[in-house]
Amino acid sequence: MPELILKGISKRFGKQEALCDVQLVVEDGEFCVLVGPSGCGKSTLLNVIAGLIPQDEGTVILEGRSIDRLSPRERDIAMVFQSYALYPHMTVAQNLGFGLRMRKVPKGTVRERVHEVARLLGIEDLLERKPRDLSGGQRQRVAMGRALVRRPKLFLLDEPLSNLDARLRANVRLELKRLHQEVRGTIVYVTHDQVEAMTLGDKVVVMRDGRIRQIGTPEAIYARPADTFVASFIGSPEMNLLRGRLAGEQGRLSFHGSGFSVELKGVQTELEEGEVEIGIRPEDLEIGSGADATIGATVEMVSDVGSEKYILARLGEETITLRAPKGKSVRAGTNIQLILNPAHIHIFRRGERVEASVG
Amino acid sequence: MSRERLEAGIIRILRISGLIFFAVIVAFPFYWMIVSSLKPLEDIVLSPANLGLHPGKVELGAYREVLFDHGFITYVFNSVYVSVATVVLSVTLAALGAYAVARLRFRGRAIMSYSILLIYMFPAIVLVIPLYVLFSRLALRDSIHVLILVYLAQTLPVALYMLRSYFQSLPEEIEYAGLMDGCTRFGVIWRIVLPLSAPALATVSLYSFMIAWNEFLFAFMFLDSPEKFTLSRGVVQLAGSVHLSKQLVMAASVMVTVPVLLLFLFFERHLVRGLTAGAMKG
Repeated sequence: MPELILKGISKRFGKQEALCDVQLVVEDGEFCVLVGPSGCGKSTLLNVIAGLIPQDEGTVILEGRSIDRLSPRERDIAMVFQSYALYPHMTVAQNLGFGLRMRKVPKGTVRERVHEVARLLGIEDLLERKPRDLSGGQRQRVAMGRALVRRPKLFLLDEPLSNLDARLRANVRLELKRLHQEVRGTIVYVTHDQVEAMTLGDKVVVMRDGRIRQIGTPEAIYARPADTFVASFIGSPEMNLLRGRLAGEQGRLSFHGSGFSVELKGVQTELEEGEVEIGIRPEDLEIGSGADATIGATVEMVSDVGSEKYILARLGEETITLRAPKGKSVRAGTNIQLILNPAHIHIFRRGERVEASVG
Repeated sequence: MSRERLEAGIIRILRISGLIFFAVIVAFPFYWMIVSSLKPLEDIVLSPANLGLHPGKVELGAYREVLFDHGFITYVFNSVYVSVATVVLSVTLAALGAYAVARLRFRGRAIMSYSILLIYMFPAIVLVIPLYVLFSRLALRDSIHVLILVYLAQTLPVALYMLRSYFQSLPEEIEYAGLMDGCTRFGVIWRIVLPLSAPALATVSLYSFMIAWNEFLFAFMFLDSPEKFTLSRGVVQLAGSVHLSKQLVMAASVMVTVPVLLLFLFFERHLVRGLTAGAMKG
């Protein structure tokens, strides 16, 4: 049974449309990540699910029942806040046990559950400390623990890693994944970091301007982005989007950009010609030679990140990014030939994906 | 000597003499008041310029006389009653009102928020005569409880204003966390907001106490029966009787001043310290 269903959720703040007709289903035990740039409505959506902000329209269904009329207290949902929001006047143990005490759980059980969660998170030594004596990473754990200890129907996490430094963030991300596999809770997780979304999510929901742009597994969203926004938002370095015109002659499709042309060998699409954008991920371009290397470009800049190199090259009047293995020797100013596998090309018309296949 | 050193020296001398000047101005009357209240009457009369105090000649007789012969024990009790009641009521009402204005959304919230301090703009002297007439007509004038009501009207605007600012400075996410953890709105106020607001509550309490304890104008106008007098009203009554020795007045004045001073010293370290450290990101 699906755990959480959102039906037609809309919310306005004055004239600002924060959420517009959001539809979403989250399955039991699923790790669902809402991702989008800041101001896209993802945190508002989380607050609507939590009951902290009432929606203008639509219904939130949890375990088959509408919870629209329930207060946050009655919803049995736990939330981890971006700022952690620990109670500064209570010890770690009191912070962890607060939710249980408020729900009249017997004292002995509270103590057991608090210790159990503290052991799970490795914060047993900190139980008697106050939040001000904890490091950022420790506070983050306590905030997680406060949610876990309640064993709620649903976990909501609002950018829980954004206040950690980069190295710690990577560690905690892995730990979060392990924790989810251990606890098997249903999670709705908000982030603006596409790496977090891709690595954590069973299901990724890309949002922009209060609307859902695409829902899918990380693989599906990466392989078949629904529009140019998703295409450029997911993936690093960004997908190359090139504006131009599609032209077909006797079933042979070609793309004419500003100052260059590419033949799209074997690509079949319902669209025969017209204004389009084509998208090529940096790893789908390969430097090579021979008959397949049909695209000529000039190297402008090389950034070496150690494990590989990112090459900024000029193609006609456009600038494109591509990846090269670390051993490849490429110098700025030189001309290179590129191989493009037509199977990896994305075509967008008026921003929307056009399905294409390679025959 | 270089000009810089000369300048530094002058600034130093000015600073020290300035501090001494103001300290003397503030402390001297107070010192004189205490010393006079502890001396036998003939010492004051014979050598009024003598500011010293012989340790062997300290007398508490003036205090005894004021407390028991002139009814001040009742006045002390009345003042404590009026002040404590004012503190309890203004902190309770201001906390609830300030929370509503700071956090809840309701019609007229903005106007409420702005008009809080407006009430405070009326000077007491403008209000005292209409209120005198009003309460006289209602036959409620000669009453300690009416006095508490009037003091509340004086303390509430500032109390509301201070608490509202403080509540607004608390991170709202902590309150959200409380709601998610199973508190009602009142639960959040009681278990999270108020404990975190201890410094602001201490400040508001002290402020209300001082207003109520020191207030004279309304006490003078409203209270007729000596058994209902507050301390400040009692001191004036005492000072007005010509045939009484001045050291009794001094002893009474000490009784008015010292409690507020002690309270202030006691609360002082709680006033500034913030309590939210550690709640949010590091």
